[in-house]
Amino acid sequence: MILIGELSLWVALLMAAWSTTVSYAGGAMRRRDLTASGVRGLYATFAMIVLASVGLWTALLSRDFSLEYVASHISATMPSVYIFTAFWSGQAGSLLFWALILSMYGTIAIATSRKRNSELVPWATGTISAILLFFIATNVFKANPFTRLDFLPPDGRGMNPQLQNPGMALHPPNLYLGYVATAIPFAFAIAALFTRRLDAEWLGVVRRWALLSWFFLTIGIVLGMWWAYVELGWSGYWAWDPVENSSFLPWLTTTAFLHSIMIQEKRGMLRKWNVVLVVVSFLLSIFGTFITRSGVIESVHSFAQSPVGNWFATFFFLATGITIYLVGTRLKDLEAKAELESMVSREAAFLYNNLLLIGIAFAVFWGTIFPIISEWANGTKITVGPPFFNAVNVPLGLLLLGLTGVGPLIAWRKASVSNLKRQFATPAIVGLVVAVILFALGMHSLAPLMTYGLCGFVAATIAQEFTKGVRARRAIHNESVLTGFFHLVARNRRRYGGYIVHAGIVMLFAAFAGMAFRTQHDVTLATGQAFEARDPYGHQWKFVSQGVSTSSPRDRLVEAVGLETFRDGKRLGFITSEKRQYLDAQGNPLFGKITEVGIRSTAKLDTYVVLAGVRNTDVAELTISFNPLVVWVWIGGFLMMIGGLVVMWPQAEKRRPQAGYAAVMPTQAERAELAGAV
Amino acid sequence: MTSRREFLRRAGSGAAAALLAARADAQQRRGVTHDSLVVKDSANLFAMDQDAARSVRLPPKPGASPSMTVTERDELERHIHCQCGCTLDVFTCRTTDFSCQVSPAMHRDVVALVDGGYSAQEIIDAFVGVYGERARMAPKKSGFTLLAWVTPGVVVLVAGALLSMWLRRREQPQPKRTVAQGGVSPRAVPGVDATPDELARLEAAVKGDNDA
Repeated sequence: MILIGELSLWVALLMAAWSTTVSYAGGAMRRRDLTASGVRGLYATFAMIVLASVGLWTALLSRDFSLEYVASHISATMPSVYIFTAFWSGQAGSLLFWALILSMYGTIAIATSRKRNSELVPWATGTISAILLFFIATNVFKANPFTRLDFLPPDGRGMNPQLQNPGMALHPPNLYLGYVATAIPFAFAIAALFTRRLDAEWLGVVRRWALLSWFFLTIGIVLGMWWAYVELGWSGYWAWDPVENSSFLPWLTTTAFLHSIMIQEKRGMLRKWNVVLVVVSFLLSIFGTFITRSGVIESVHSFAQSPVGNWFATFFFLATGITIYLVGTRLKDLEAKAELESMVSREAAFLYNNLLLIGIAFAVFWGTIFPIISEWANGTKITVGPPFFNAVNVPLGLLLLGLTGVGPLIAWRKASVSNLKRQFATPAIVGLVVAVILFALGMHSLAPLMTYGLCGFVAATIAQEFTKGVRARRAIHNESVLTGFFHLVARNRRRYGGYIVHAGIVMLFAAFAGMAFRTQHDVTLATGQAFEARDPYGHQWKFVSQGVSTSSPRDRLVEAVGLETFRDGKRLGFITSEKRQYLDAQGNPLFGKITEVGIRSTAKLDTYVVLAGVRNTDVAELTISFNPLVVWVWIGGFLMMIGGLVVMWPQAEKRRPQAGYAAVMPTQAERAELAGAV
Repeated sequence: MTSRREFLRRAGSGAAAALLAARADAQQRRGVTHDSLVVKDSANLFAMDQDAARSVRLPPKPGASPSMTVTERDELERHIHCQCGCTLDVFTCRTTDFSCQVSPAMHRDVVALVDGGYSAQEIIDAFVGVYGERARMAPKKSGFTLLAWVTPGVVVLVAGALLSMWLRRREQPQPKRTVAQGGVSPRAVPGVDATPDELARLEAAVKGDNDA
């Protein structure tokens, strides 16, 4: 099976080359037979990559250490689930995984669009196959997962134990599912540019895939944050590391696109801008994949040293150049079909929302690559870390949070003064009241105060929209509140799913601001000794060491400390943190010691205990942190996922005839009743 | 003329031949040893340099006493970059799980300098003197690296100004559209203070037109 997999990768290379050539030829010569052959070539590429993937999984699960990739990433004692996930834990495997997902997505996208978008299919198939060709060629010639060793090692070196975590098993595939999904809108955008069919036809396909990309990127990013928080032991979840930034960038541009596409759907505006966002999202995904696997983070030199660096750079610049040429030569076809009627309108609000999202994306990109620019320009190695990213992005983020509340409520075309008053009076008062109460309670830092005020404002706008909608349904259909709520969401999935996502965003911002009040203590405790501290809410905590225990399960040595924990004199139970040394099959240490963090989590506060080290067998060196509101990051992320699912959930075809809008308008009496619900 | 099927068959055999040739060539050329396996395609989170720590010590100032509290010192350490190869600051790195030997050494230097009466800026300067600009967690706000700080703000402000100008230029109030013209807004209800847009949204809530 392994040999078949290896051979399949080569056949996939040929199939992708074939599909690219004949699809483009079919599009240029308008030859249906060539197009059909190109599409079949894409399907065959998918089948071959599935075989290659099965081959690699077979090698991993059978622990065939004669393969360099297997020997480098797993060991005999690793749990099977992490042996399975080792598929994407190294460069060669992750490139194959990219190709696997892209060929699968491409097959689905082309199979479902062949009839509806027949003009675009040859060009989209050619583009998807060309991207596949690049990844498979990189796999075959630069990072082949089937490369064999000249000897048979008794055991592999295994996977870093910190990566053996459910969060890390799921985080990379979700990110890849998100990254790769940007290739489909890109392919259809290129097809639309080639064919000059830049009407609304391609938007339907593009929007669905962009949404899918956003959905998986969101899950991937939140899972990565969760993994960092529970596994790395630094009491945080986002460090503005270049690898984190590289996943955040396409998320930002895809979010911007999902907003601006509404303006094109509704008003026929922003046609050029939407094409640019689709293209940039894909290119940033390539940038993200590259930065994650190439080591470009450290310096320009890593770029040159990386075996795939030059290939990625060439592909990146080639794709950018072709796209710039195509957009440049089709500017006239991308002219807007409508004009803006007022600066005070939803269109304008969405444009400023786009400006901020892209502004943040630029700031993150700029900070990520500035060390390279600095080294290139004057030879000085510098670090651009959290102090820079926080200083630059917090003001932009707060403005964006404010617009999250404004955008959905402001009217299309032109909002009147009375509309603004009616829609924003209550949310503005709620936001103000929240800020005043927190100030009175002693919160005097400007950024958190503004964040919570804006969170109150946005939450109130969302609640207001749901309330009005449910009230309107009750007025017309006489439904209960709960039924009205479910029908409201079910029948207007895009809008109310979007509001659910916004509610998740509010929770995330509230949780981020909470970390401004985090406190941390370095503590050394012998058995029976106690440490007392106040949390940010003023509660008195006491931690009593129960001593350090040691154990040696199958594949590791464990030192554990248990802390009996009290808050305001009331016993809460034990928090345990461990120091682990993983061993290989021969009992030799694998990697360094790692920590298992002890976390007691509530809605208000996480108590976070890290065993930093052990002295004299029973003296524990500990770091104890009080992290406010962290759990709301996970709840907010989950809510965003739910909102995304609601938006994506397929809707039955509309029964309403397009030309008969007036016929389905509510009666005058119904409208008066609706207006009563305003 | 060669059929597609024939072409694919030949291409498949060609690929198999190329594969075998490439493998034979690789067997000849490759000198892979167990040592190279260890360093190649590392599964480590990053390559840690445990020997990166260098001494950053200055003689104590006359009559020196600690120049800051422990909390202030911890905050200062958040602005000094650990040199082990991670992307973390000294405080975060030394209190985490990376088995790092470098951040504790840098912490000891910070403690010595604080006890020696040096201010936060003097301590950062001392670290920059030894490790270079990479000792800072963020670029300094002068010289070439000022560009890092000002560029995002300037870009957003200029883009915002251009966007506002563009919007003002394109702003063209239009007469109210009727349903027959393709307008989507329902007519306002006489005597009711709600815009057509608000009514449209409420209608959607009731009817389910899935309009965002």
